[in-house]
Amino acid sequence: MKEKLQEIFRDVFDDETIEITREMTADDIESWDSLTYFRLIMVIEKEFHIKFTTEKVSNMKTVGEMMDYIASNSGEK
Amino acid sequence: MKDTSLIVPEKGVQMELNELKRLIRDTDVADVNSLLKYAGRLSKYFAGKQMGKRIAVLGTCNIQYFTRALQCILFRDGIEATFYEGEYDGIKMDVLGEESGFYSFEPEIVVLIPDYRDIKKFPPLLSSLETVSEYISAYYKDMRNIWQHINEKLPNAQIVMANYVVPIDRSLGNLEVNYGFSRQVILQELNLKISREHPRYVTIVDMEYQAALIGKMNWFDESGYMLNKSPFSLSETGRVAELFAKIIEAYCGKVRKCLVLDLDNTLWGGVVSEEGALGIKIDPNDAVGEAYLSFQTYVKRLNERGIILAVCSKNDMEIAKEPFVKNRNMVLKLENFACFHANWRNKAENIRQIAQEINIGLDSIVLFDDNPAEREIVKMQLQEVLVIEVPQEPAEYVRTLETSNAFCWTALTKEDLSRSETYKADVRRGELQQAADNYDEYLIQLKMKGKVKRTTESDLLRVSQLVNKSNQFNLRTMRYTEAEITALSKEPDVALLSAVLSDKFSNYGIVSCAILKRIEKECFIDTWVMSCRVLKRGMELMMFQKIYDIAIEWGCECIKGEYIPTEKNGMVHGLLTDLGFDRTAVNDNGCEDYSYHVQNIPTLKFYIEEDVNL
Repeated sequence: MKEKLQEIFRDVFDDETIEITREMTADDIESWDSLTYFRLIMVIEKEFHIKFTTEKVSNMKTVGEMMDYIASNSGEK
Repeated sequence: MKDTSLIVPEKGVQMELNELKRLIRDTDVADVNSLLKYAGRLSKYFAGKQMGKRIAVLGTCNIQYFTRALQCILFRDGIEATFYEGEYDGIKMDVLGEESGFYSFEPEIVVLIPDYRDIKKFPPLLSSLETVSEYISAYYKDMRNIWQHINEKLPNAQIVMANYVVPIDRSLGNLEVNYGFSRQVILQELNLKISREHPRYVTIVDMEYQAALIGKMNWFDESGYMLNKSPFSLSETGRVAELFAKIIEAYCGKVRKCLVLDLDNTLWGGVVSEEGALGIKIDPNDAVGEAYLSFQTYVKRLNERGIILAVCSKNDMEIAKEPFVKNRNMVLKLENFACFHANWRNKAENIRQIAQEINIGLDSIVLFDDNPAEREIVKMQLQEVLVIEVPQEPAEYVRTLETSNAFCWTALTKEDLSRSETYKADVRRGELQQAADNYDEYLIQLKMKGKVKRTTESDLLRVSQLVNKSNQFNLRTMRYTEAEITALSKEPDVALLSAVLSDKFSNYGIVSCAILKRIEKECFIDTWVMSCRVLKRGMELMMFQKIYDIAIEWGCECIKGEYIPTEKNGMVHGLLTDLGFDRTAVNDNGCEDYSYHVQNIPTLKFYIEEDVNL
C-alpha cells in the first residue's frame, strides 16, 4: 500500500522524487497546499475505494495517519 | 485598452508547450487529477503574463479548481487566456464594489457561477402563488441587477452564467413537486425565468441539465462543500469546465457546422452491399433496427437546426444510395445531405474534399463513424476534425453524439433553419448552371434579389453570428461578442451593414455584413464577412457599392481596407484589388493595407436586383 500511495503522491504533486514517510506533513512538500490536498484525497478515495470522513480530512496531519486510515478502511496493508 | 498581443515564447519553451498540449489532448476531461496536474504545469509558463482572452470567473463558491481546468481545456483547443478569479462569495462584492480589481482587469468574458445556497429566504409554506411569484421576481431582479451593472461598466463583455442546480434535499419530500411554494419548484421556475428573459449579452449554461446528466448523488459532494466550499463534486470539475470552454470557444469563432456520417453500422445495421437495401437493419419492429432509426431521427433534428450533413462511406455510390431511395423505413433522405461521398478512397482525403465542396474549414467538421480504424486514420491525418468515439452499441449513438457537445453555438437564427433547404436547392441551381450558356447567363436566370442596409436591432444576432462563424470570406477575422456588436451599433462613427439575398430557389436571409469605422477623413473597413453559400454571386459588389455610399455620406476622402492573412481566408486576398483598391503597404507580418479614393466612382456590374420591399 505504501508504494501505491507513493505513486499517488508523485502523480498529484507532479514530482517523481517524492519518498513518503510516516512522519511527512504538508510542510515537507513544496506544492502541498489546500488545492492539491483535496485533489490528493480525491485520488486516494478512488484508488483505494474508500471515503474519508469530513473530520478525518480536516484533521489529518501526517502521511502516517493517512496510511492508518487507508489500512483500516480498505484492508490494504 | 490593454495590450493583448501574444507573447511569443522561446523555441524550447514552445516545444514543451506543444508536448503539454498533446498530453492534455490525450486526457479525458473526466480525469480531473491529470487535468489539474497539467494545469499546474501550464500555470508555471503563464505565471504573471497577460495574454490572449481576458476571462473573469466569479462565483459564490470555490472556483479555483474550475478556473484552472478551464485554462487547461482552452489551451488544449488553441485559446490562450488570462484569468481574474473573484473573491470567495464574490459575485456581488466584485460586481457592485466600485474599487474592484474585476473592472480594472477589463474582462472580455465574465463567467458567473451562482449557487442555490445563495438564496437564503424562501416564501413561507402554504404561500399563495402570487406571493411565490413576487419572491421569484425579486431573485431574478437581483440577478438582472448584477448583469446590468457589469454591462454598464463593461459594455463589450459577454457574460456566461450557469443556472441553478436544484438541490437534493426536499423538506416536503414528494409533496414539493405538488406545490408552487416549495423550494424545488421555485428554483426550477427561477431557472425558467432566467432562460426566457435573460438579455443577449448573457449566455446561460445549463448546469442543472449537467447535474441531472451526472446524477445528483454524484454531482453534489456535501463533505467537499463543508471542507472547501466546492459547489459540486471535485471530480466533475473537468466536465463542467469543458461546457464553459465550448461556449467561450464559440465566441472565438470555433464553431462546428457539419456532421460527416458513415453508412453501414452507423446509419443502419449491417452492410448494404451484402444484405441489400431492404435487408439492412432499419425496421422499427426490430430492436436493433429501432436503435439506428432513433439515431437517424436525432440526426434529422440536427439537420433541421442547421447542421450540414454529409456522407462519407466506403461503398459503391449506387449501392450506397439505394436504401435512401428504396427502403421506406429510412428517416433520412438523400436531400438531407449536402454532399454524398461513397467510394473506396481514403476517408481523410474524402473529408478534405467534402470541406472544399461545402466551403467550410476542416475544424467545422464532426465525424461519426463506427469503424475505429477509419476514425484513427482521420484523427491522424486531419487533426482539426472532431472525431467522435462511437460506442459498439448503436442504441447509445444518440447520447454519445449529444454529450460530445460537438455543436455548441452562440445563437440560433432563422438563417440556420433554412440552411438545409438551401443545400437542397443547390442541386437545382447546379442543374440550372449546367443548362446555362455561360456564368453571366446563369446569374441572370437565378433572378436574384438583394439589399444592403444599415443593420437594425433585430438583425444584430445574425450579424454577430456571421462575424464569429465566417472564416474564409473574412478580411481581418476580428471576432466580436454579441455584447460588443451591440455596443458598436450604438457608436456614432461606426456603421454596421448587413446584406440579404434571395434567388428563385432560396431565401438566404442575411449573408454578408460589414463594420465600417469613420476615422477623420477615412472610412475604415474594420470587418467584412460573407457566408460561403453565396460566393461568386456578385454580392460583394453590391456590398461595396453600399460601403462606398457610406463613405460619401460621411464625407470621407478615401476608404481604407486591410487584409490580415489566416490559414483560411486566402480567397479574399485579391478582393480589394479586384474592387479597384490600391495596395499601399505590405507589412512584415503579412498584413496588407489598401486604399480607395472616393473620386473613383465604382462601376460595378452585378445581377442582383435591388429588393424594394425590404
